[in-house]
Amino acid sequence: MSARAGRGGDPGWREQPTARIAPVDSPPVGPDELLRQVARGDDQAFTALYDAIVPRVYGLARRVLRDPAQAEEVAQEALVEVWRTAARFDPAKGSATSWVLTITHRRAVDRVRAAQAGADRERRVAAASVETPYDDVVEEVTASLEQQQVRRCLKGLTDLQREAITLAYYDGYTYREVAEKLDTALPTIKTRMRDGLIRLRDCLGVSVA
Amino acid sequence: MSQPTEIHTLAGAYALDALTEIERAGFARHISECEACATEVAELSETASRLSAAAWEVPPSRMRDAVLAEVSHTRQVTGGKVERAVHGDVRRWRRWTAAAVAAGVVALGGMATVWVVQEQRVGDARQQAQQLRTDQARVNAVLAARDVRLRTADVPGGGKVTVAISPSLDDGVVLMSDLPAPPEGKAYQLWLIRESSPTSAGVMAAGQRTGTAVLDTVGSADTLGLTLEPVGGSPLPTMTPIAGVPLA
Repeated sequence: MSARAGRGGDPGWREQPTARIAPVDSPPVGPDELLRQVARGDDQAFTALYDAIVPRVYGLARRVLRDPAQAEEVAQEALVEVWRTAARFDPAKGSATSWVLTITHRRAVDRVRAAQAGADRERRVAAASVETPYDDVVEEVTASLEQQQVRRCLKGLTDLQREAITLAYYDGYTYREVAEKLDTALPTIKTRMRDGLIRLRDCLGVSVA
Repeated sequence: MSQPTEIHTLAGAYALDALTEIERAGFARHISECEACATEVAELSETASRLSAAAWEVPPSRMRDAVLAEVSHTRQVTGGKVERAVHGDVRRWRRWTAAAVAAGVVALGGMATVWVVQEQRVGDARQQAQQLRTDQARVNAVLAARDVRLRTADVPGGGKVTVAISPSLDDGVVLMSDLPAPPEGKAYQLWLIRESSPTSAGVMAAGQRTGTAVLDTVGSADTLGLTLEPVGGSPLPTMTPIAGVPLA
């Protein structure tokens, strides 16, 4: 890498209008390190973390809530919570990405359930009708390697495992609601969620340091 | 008490956020006491969050400015603050926080007239009046916030404790209505509990049964507890809470 642009390099480099982009010789900083910097109050690290992770956060909120306006609100709240509580991130319990997505998912699920408890149950029913076209759109998006891997691993589950997991994770149903929807006994659903996730874990090669 | 193996089958549902709040709290207690389970849950949670890779979507660009603007005036929870927690009878609290939580949403309509809980830091009458105005403004702001979340718990013997939290304002209020009359020499005290460690969130006056309290640093607490303490309050709770409101 003798041709690195940067400190001692070609003076023309600095004058380029794209100077806001990080210089090529800066080492890539992953979400875990960024989140540690955020915990120390580094707002630039937060901006970098935001840019790295926001399609996952918004995509997840949108998937659970369907409604774009609500998804935007929940994603926004979740990201502000990430900033506020970054000091609580414990790398021994998992990755920064997973930590951020767990916050997002919980908020999205809480929102869906609050809406259900309230007056607008029909929102859910209306949303169900857009489910298929929406999935098709997602399918058409150039799938990242990770997306492809997740899909492949989901296909490796039994139908019941897959349905139980996707109804809970993507639609925010409690395991009781899932049992009802799938007309299956409660203990069976609990077990399928757990052994399905274990199978997914092994297929995706997930491990926690 | 459920069998350890039986509660453990909830690990998958927990990782998928498919439990109700009460079950979630119970299971969180379980993993705090079982190291092997904690590892499995960490792995399954990590696995669950991988599922979101299938839901990748770019948000409207205005969101970036909105989030960065909000962050620029949002205080962070510091690591030190979280760890400063006091250690009372941690085990007892832990058992209680899991058992006592019950969530719900109430209409706040009938709770308009309220008294602000006496803050120990407030001295003279003028200061108190000013504090009251500030607190009332905060109460109104929280109740009017678009993202306000309401949690409530019944108090044995009568009355309710309701917590309203607005994540966007980073603020919360507690509303207490028609609590049972405290015994002679006792007053109600509020506690913010995070992972079984209580921090005082205000003491009511002797005999006071209805009131509103403004909460500072709600974000770090998972439960709001209510106890009866000697008038003036205690540095640490002297009893297991009589009611608790889950905040998470």
